[in-house]
Amino acid sequence: MNKPVINIKNLNVDYITDKNPIKAVRDVTFEIFSGEIFGLVGESGSGKSTVVQAMMRILPPPAIISKGEVIINNEDILASSSLDVVGMRWKKISIVMQSALNALNPVLSIREQIHDVLKTHKNLIGLDADERAKELLSLVEIDHDRLDSFPHQLSGGMKQRIVIAIALAIMPPIIIMDEPTTALDVIVEREIIAKIIDLRKKLGFTILFITHDLNLLLEFADRLAIMKNGEIVELDKVENIHAGGKHPYTKKLIGSIPSASGKRQKGLLSKPKSLNLSKNPILEVQNLKKVFQSPGFFNKNKLIAVNDVSFKIHKGEIVGLVGESGSGKSTVAKLVTRLIRPSEGSIYLNGENKKVTESRNVPLQYRKDVQMVFQDPFGSLNSIHTVYHHLSRPLYRHRLKDEVTMLPYIIDLLEKVGLSPGEKFAEKFPHEMSGGERQRVAIARALSLEPKIVVADEPTSMLDVSIRMEVLEIFAKMRIENNLTVLFITHDLASARYLADRIIVLKNGKIIEENNSENLIQNPKEDYTKQLVNAASPGWLNQITK
Amino acid sequence: MINNKNIYKKSILTRWVSGIIVNQKAFIGSCIILFFGVLAIFVPPFIQSPTDFLSTPLSPPSSDYFFGTNGQGQDVFAQTICGARQTLFIGFSAGILVVIIGALIGGTAGYYGGRIDDVLSLLINIFLVMPGLPLMVILASWLPPSPATLLGVLVLTGWAWNARVIRSQMMTFRNRDFVSAAVISGESNIRIIVIEIMPRMLSLLASSFIGASIYAIGAQVGLEFLGLGDVSTVTWGTNLYWASNDLALLTESWWTFVPTGFCIAMISFALTLINFGIDEVSNPRLISERLWRNKIPKNKITHGITPVSNSNE
Repeated sequence: MNKPVINIKNLNVDYITDKNPIKAVRDVTFEIFSGEIFGLVGESGSGKSTVVQAMMRILPPPAIISKGEVIINNEDILASSSLDVVGMRWKKISIVMQSALNALNPVLSIREQIHDVLKTHKNLIGLDADERAKELLSLVEIDHDRLDSFPHQLSGGMKQRIVIAIALAIMPPIIIMDEPTTALDVIVEREIIAKIIDLRKKLGFTILFITHDLNLLLEFADRLAIMKNGEIVELDKVENIHAGGKHPYTKKLIGSIPSASGKRQKGLLSKPKSLNLSKNPILEVQNLKKVFQSPGFFNKNKLIAVNDVSFKIHKGEIVGLVGESGSGKSTVAKLVTRLIRPSEGSIYLNGENKKVTESRNVPLQYRKDVQMVFQDPFGSLNSIHTVYHHLSRPLYRHRLKDEVTMLPYIIDLLEKVGLSPGEKFAEKFPHEMSGGERQRVAIARALSLEPKIVVADEPTSMLDVSIRMEVLEIFAKMRIENNLTVLFITHDLASARYLADRIIVLKNGKIIEENNSENLIQNPKEDYTKQLVNAASPGWLNQITK
Repeated sequence: MINNKNIYKKSILTRWVSGIIVNQKAFIGSCIILFFGVLAIFVPPFIQSPTDFLSTPLSPPSSDYFFGTNGQGQDVFAQTICGARQTLFIGFSAGILVVIIGALIGGTAGYYGGRIDDVLSLLINIFLVMPGLPLMVILASWLPPSPATLLGVLVLTGWAWNARVIRSQMMTFRNRDFVSAAVISGESNIRIIVIEIMPRMLSLLASSFIGASIYAIGAQVGLEFLGLGDVSTVTWGTNLYWASNDLALLTESWWTFVPTGFCIAMISFALTLINFGIDEVSNPRLISERLWRNKIPKNKITHGITPVSNSNE
């Protein structure tokens, strides 16, 4: 029998507050065997990062490890002196932190950053260190010329590879990866994962992989632990979890993953039986172009964010606009909602051939007709105002309701988006609600004016996986009941497939493919679309490693 | 059924006020300020006039004159209390004006950006590069001495830095989603600035006010000490001016300047305490960290290593 390299027993972590301490991690127990890929899955706030940070004892104040045992390679970390703990870090166990984009020092070259680690832990300097640095870059397939680059000169995927290379610098037997790919685009993410798996085959280290994305881990982990509210609710082999697991929470997680391949699953999101679209589009965008110019007199840097984009949306239709970061999809959202002015092109609303992009001042009627749901529910609500304020202001502003009819209308609206009882939620402040509840409020605000079209910019990407489908269901339901028109902007092809009738694929500011959702998924024409579809289908890892 | 109005009233201000009262530092600071405020406003009618010749000049503290008398035979106790009136009034008014002007100019520049920002930023920068102290001294000596002059000089030399800080804070808020959401729902710019953004800046505005007040009181006392204020009025600054004029240090009559100096120090101390309190109210993490430090034995705190509590051993 293989011996465990990591053994955690009844780990408890508290955060000290002015009231009772918050128990962030409660009685977490697990073992990781040598050579294994162990996955720790949980939504935000589940305590998964706290567990590993407690393991390494790098939790900042006000955290305190209140109970438990952490044994790594027969060494009791919690009983060790601080010197031993520091010595253990990186030599025996290294960590790839969340958001590689911030993990690298912006003012040091890559060479210096790798040298730093080699010098501190292995006393390697000069040419020897250079030699090793080159070896490391070869491992992650990055050109040696890049050693003298600075982080801002590298793409997100390259930065992530370099962070992994630095973690491998002195070949620790165990590597912890804390959401290493969350900030990356799907296609790049898949490549990085394939690289990690490949490296593990060559070097044979043990991986503890932490993520919120269960779908990702199902591809390559050996065993999985699912965390919720600071506790492990299920720990099993990946096959058993994939089959549905035992705990209801696991079942819910597994059940809420849409897939971009195979037949459309039934009952995931409601769809109308048939679409009767009118001839005239409700929104028409023609040859839209947006050029961002850096401020300053001598600065001539230009960025073409959106280039010659045209599309139409009909009443009662849900159109998905799919693209990766930098594709210009959020700029399209801002242009359509007229938060920014286009450099060229025009936007026609409501089939009246009236150009709406001429003047600087946006007519109030346009503000009523086009509403938007933002990506970040924590940022799109003002923390100092109540839900009531957020919903009543637009209605007062457009003189749709008065003092008497306001409250019943708002309560009704809140209950429609699944916040019941409405009276209770109307009184709440944003910080008193969960992310999902806040996003429902944001949706209610967008719907309150009964707009002609709602632009939803990544409405679920900041939400926990288990509630994403429920939030999308609000749009699906409102479309069926109220003939709502939605421009659904997302990076996730699978969810666009389920919600949208038609999908537009955007790359580098240009539309590269547009088709009926199912047709686009089943027969993608462009290479890029094929890549996107493959990356969102189960079994992608085998396809890449082949 | 809930009342529409009640929901509206449960505002950030109530949270703030209760936060400040609960916070020890802010509470002690507020008490000191309140004490001086009451002293300055209500006590003067009940004590001797600070400008009358009462007793032998430079007599040390006694039961008749708690703080003794100064070189003109005036009661130092009365002077200290009456001096608080104008000093605090000008100090706090300058603080308020600096914040209001800073918020108006900096806020407008940060919110609108573009050309408006270019012009206003230029104005701010011009005032920033002007050397404050010499300008203050020149203006104060050139204009006719009066409290209004003093106030004007203090505001003129003090507003630019605040405007700069508020401008950059406004620029970060300008691009937040909640502001975009308000724009999309059709709110007017003025309303977005005043109702949506300004309350979010309350902690910045409050600490700006406190910083500006400390600066204004210090600068004011300094100017008056140099004789650039109206020396016929009774303020903390002129008290020090007369003490120095009457050679208090040579005659070793410490009581002529120690009470005033102590009061100025106390006011600055109290304002700084309130500033700390505001920090803690707007950033609860600071409180948690203090509690954490108190709870864990000193020998267990090592920088960068999470402590393990005793219950384990």
